[in-house]
Amino acid sequence: MAIREIRTMGDEVLTKTCKEVKMMTPRMAILIEDMLDTMYEAQGVGLAAPQVGVLRRIVVIDVGEGPIILINPEILETSGEQTGDEGCLSVPGKAGCVTRPNYVKVKALDENMEEIVYEGEGLLARAFCHEIDHLDGHLYVEKVEGEIHDVTYEDEEMEEE
Amino acid sequence: MIKAVSERELVLGILLEVTRDGEYSHIALRNVLNKYQYLDKKERAFITRVTEGTLEHMIELDYIINQFSKVKVNKMKPVIRNILRSAVYQLKYMDSVPNSAVCNEAVKLATKKGFSNLKGFVNGVLRNIERNLETITYPDETNVIEYLHIKYSMPKWILEQWLSKYDRDTVETMLRDFQKEKPTTIRCNLNQMSKEQLMEELKTEGVEVQEHPYLPYALQISGYDYLADLKAFQQGAFYVQDISSMLVSHIAEPKEGDICIDVCAAPGGKALHMAELLHGTGHVEARDLTDYKVNLIQENIVRSGMHNIEAVRWDATVLDEDSVEKADVVIADLPCSGLGVLGKKTDLKYKMTEQTQGELVKLQREILSVVKQYVNLGGTLVYSTCTIHEAENEGNVEWFLKENPEYQLISILQLLPGVHESDGFFIAKFKKVKYE
Repeated sequence: MAIREIRTMGDEVLTKTCKEVKMMTPRMAILIEDMLDTMYEAQGVGLAAPQVGVLRRIVVIDVGEGPIILINPEILETSGEQTGDEGCLSVPGKAGCVTRPNYVKVKALDENMEEIVYEGEGLLARAFCHEIDHLDGHLYVEKVEGEIHDVTYEDEEMEEE
Repeated sequence: MIKAVSERELVLGILLEVTRDGEYSHIALRNVLNKYQYLDKKERAFITRVTEGTLEHMIELDYIINQFSKVKVNKMKPVIRNILRSAVYQLKYMDSVPNSAVCNEAVKLATKKGFSNLKGFVNGVLRNIERNLETITYPDETNVIEYLHIKYSMPKWILEQWLSKYDRDTVETMLRDFQKEKPTTIRCNLNQMSKEQLMEELKTEGVEVQEHPYLPYALQISGYDYLADLKAFQQGAFYVQDISSMLVSHIAEPKEGDICIDVCAAPGGKALHMAELLHGTGHVEARDLTDYKVNLIQENIVRSGMHNIEAVRWDATVLDEDSVEKADVVIADLPCSGLGVLGKKTDLKYKMTEQTQGELVKLQREILSVVKQYVNLGGTLVYSTCTIHEAENEGNVEWFLKENPEYQLISILQLLPGVHESDGFFIAKFKKVKYE
């Protein structure tokens, strides 16, 4: 297990299109493990490979229902609409309002390179869109309606007075 | 991706909208829950509970805060005031949230909202309240008004009004009932499926269902997350309606073939109920003032699948010549001060005034003077409100009978929450026995 460095906006790697994964190698398997560790450690709900500097079409997501691994994901179908704030581990301390489909159906390969289809609503649908955008070099900030705002927490434990 | 908002921040936003900007709590809450549909069931329940609870207990919460803060609540900045209120609500009323989490989250939220200079203050007040919560003294019970005012967070003028008509025990029963959590009451659309079928269907969707003691087609449901997601709801198999509203159409008693008008119908529950009681015969016209309200009625008509009912935009204060003496049943469920539904509209008690009540009495009389003309000989007029206020209810009935000798009073019913298993509600039924 290893925590990788999360690249932040301004890093060119986040603007590039990622390459398809042709076969599962030990290197890729370790990358996926590390991405999950990194996402959990940063308290994110999703992470794409370019966010840790690797230009491969790999995404990990966990919206509280267990980890989902997507290799070479493709959106098959979307419907509905949801509008709300979202944030990104590569844009720390900020959030902005983005409209996304409320339902998304995704086809991808799992860690064994077997095809799998996921359907997501609400937060999961949002995460699918957000992460798959990363694989083509897009950040949510391009889609923000209105202003991007600060969500910084000064995270210090208060002593009892 | 990261989730961008915390539940407590959303709660604060709603509280500010309600207390500072004058928005209605149910609207502000609904907007947030609709906007953040991806929040899970637990988070949605937390937001609803803390928002409604904080508003419901606000006078008591302020009373507590004022005992421990040198700066009085009404002198605080709105953000800080509302952070403290919702935190004290969680400390006092929610055992599931650890006290340390309440304090830490409140401090974090104050910081996030740009008041890091006040985080010591927020922390100090909350820790102090947490330590002394068990020993807070309330006004003495012999001082009835002051005691009920703080204990049940009820404005004094409302208490005075009620205590002049009902005894102390009855008033306290109502106040206690407003603060109780209650299941949602629904009316089965028997045109779609039987009550037994609906109960089965709801149970398979994980909803808890019980029969209501007052009417055979009324059920009480709880334990669902988002009502509009229920299949039975989308199919129009039931309609959300308090038992008291159902009693209006029940008491109106439309007979097959009757022409009925509901003059202030939105969102259409009573009118749809009447259409159902007509078994596909007759006709119901469900009127209201604005396009928005008429659309609400229209949506509900479509969902119900019934054809003997239509939604029409019409201002109830204006006489519709074409309707004069045409209706067998007229329902006038009129705008009122709403003091019977304070358990549902938690912030209404802070917004209503005696002056507004006076204006409402005038409006009710104005509308009654117009819509009584639609009733044909032998026909029925039902006047109802969702309030507990003599002048709007019994007072208007007395006035109406004096002004309109062609009408006879058939029945009169004042429902009191807690005394009856319903909202506070008033229903008077008149019959037109001769020509004017």
